[in-house]
Amino acid sequence: MRTLYDIYQIFPHTDCGYCGSSSCLTMLRRYCIGKSNLSDCIYFKSGELPTPKITYSPPAIKVPHNQKISYIRPCPSEPSKVTIEINILPPVHSPYGYFDMITADTIFQHQITNLKISPSLGIVRLESETGDVMVFSEGKVVIRRGADERSAFWEISRALRLLWATVNRKPRAESAQ
Amino acid sequence: MLDVNKVREDFPFLKSGRIYLDSTATSLTPEPVLEKVLEYYRECRANVGRGIYNAAQAATFAYENARVEVAKLINAKPEEIIFVRNATEAINLVASGLKFHEGDKIVTTILEHHSNYIPWLRVKNTKKLELSVVLSDMEGHLSPSDFAPHIDGHTRLVAVTQTSNVLGVRPPIKEIAKLAHDEGALVLVDGAQSVPHKKVDVKELDCDFLTFSGHKMCGPTGVGALYIKEGLQELIEPLCIGGGSIEDVGLDYFRLRTGPSKYEAGTPPIAEAIGMGAAAKYLLNIGMENIEDHERNLTRRMLQGLINTDGITIFGPKDADKRAGIISFNLKGFNPHDVAVALDTSSGVMVRSGHHCALPLHKHILKSPNGTVRASVYLYNTNEDVDVFLETLQEISRSLA
Repeated sequence: MRTLYDIYQIFPHTDCGYCGSSSCLTMLRRYCIGKSNLSDCIYFKSGELPTPKITYSPPAIKVPHNQKISYIRPCPSEPSKVTIEINILPPVHSPYGYFDMITADTIFQHQITNLKISPSLGIVRLESETGDVMVFSEGKVVIRRGADERSAFWEISRALRLLWATVNRKPRAESAQ
Repeated sequence: MLDVNKVREDFPFLKSGRIYLDSTATSLTPEPVLEKVLEYYRECRANVGRGIYNAAQAATFAYENARVEVAKLINAKPEEIIFVRNATEAINLVASGLKFHEGDKIVTTILEHHSNYIPWLRVKNTKKLELSVVLSDMEGHLSPSDFAPHIDGHTRLVAVTQTSNVLGVRPPIKEIAKLAHDEGALVLVDGAQSVPHKKVDVKELDCDFLTFSGHKMCGPTGVGALYIKEGLQELIEPLCIGGGSIEDVGLDYFRLRTGPSKYEAGTPPIAEAIGMGAAAKYLLNIGMENIEDHERNLTRRMLQGLINTDGITIFGPKDADKRAGIISFNLKGFNPHDVAVALDTSSGVMVRSGHHCALPLHKHILKSPNGTVRASVYLYNTNEDVDVFLETLQEISRSLA
């Protein structure tokens, strides 16, 4: 099992709440940081589903870039538009890299039709009229074909807020989704 | 056979596990070349062709020996090799140094890198010449019959690449040279993408000028070579004149030397040229045929994988025997630059994106003005490199496109 996403596939996906977490996903995340047991789950406890043997340990976070904003201007393919790249340090308290891709996937995939996710590569791609944003799990954010500097920054901050929310949301609020 | 694991030990850049698929832009440098460059700086750091003391003689010997090694690589005589900054400078040297008459014609092709295109556009305007561009088919193929209508008694020079840096196709140089020579025209071959990757023999090609860069053939940056066929140096004026290039100077006259030093005014890139000589030796030791075979196998694997990936458009021939190890492609719904960033950030695969300094080709033949993604292989790439590249690309196509 390479990623949290792979492990999530073996969970019951019923979001019944028996374990005390609001969803199977929250249960998994709490399990990975040592705040719940697999035996809390009624499906695993009763034997209805085989208890998975999880050998997953969160990957060590490497910081490949210096934290910085780098402009490439103009956009290499369309000189009238701009490209912006930002590298951000991952938060020290998160053991899962910068963005929690499965959370983003689960919460948003049906709400934002232009959000595309590859959990195994750690890439989220958001297309919009004002520019295309790609967010990488290690903390790099790239926007291409931004109309101008200001709208490109706006687009990046929108994408970041969207994905941030998935990582920092409290379990109760998550269930409201 | 080429032992790729043994080869890889020579390249310090690869030790971090990065996957370098951009050797068409520039190649990596092996230890023997780095050693040779440092040896000059450490042991015989003196100017060439000037001093009489020991170190100066050792430096001159090493520099001239590099010329011998580079000449061997293309089966030329050492005195036919001129060290320049890179292939671009070599082409510019010929373009500005060749004597033209008004109305002379230059023939080039749509496949060319900007470096073998815009110097001719410029002399066309400054010297009132005619420039004719031979168009290829959609896959980049050019045959001698495509050239025939363009070459006539007014043609002064035919400038053509031996390997396209976008499509990997190889125009038939020998036949083109024959056509040109029959009409009394000169032939310049851009060997930037061919000399590092296959056996090139100037006698066999019968070209008049051959240009190539050191940095694309495992050598240092900042040095390249221009081959001028014996006897033709009289036709070409040097780009720069000054120290090291003269035979005699008086108050109101100067007389240039003959031979390569005529073109190498000023202190040349000594360490770089010595490194380029070491690189030529390194490649010849491995064997150009072995390198070509190795690249062909990798190219076949890459082409097969790309054909089996959804949404991929491959430019150029789909047959590995008809192209060098350079493959340009596009992924549907993706800008080429985004594909390159995704490959690099997620899997450490380095590829080039954009128009690869060949805008006319992208605009008029490939109809892809936004450019393409280009992956290219060299002697140090492995099957595993190609597989990681393909797997990542397949996941990008599946989940993100």
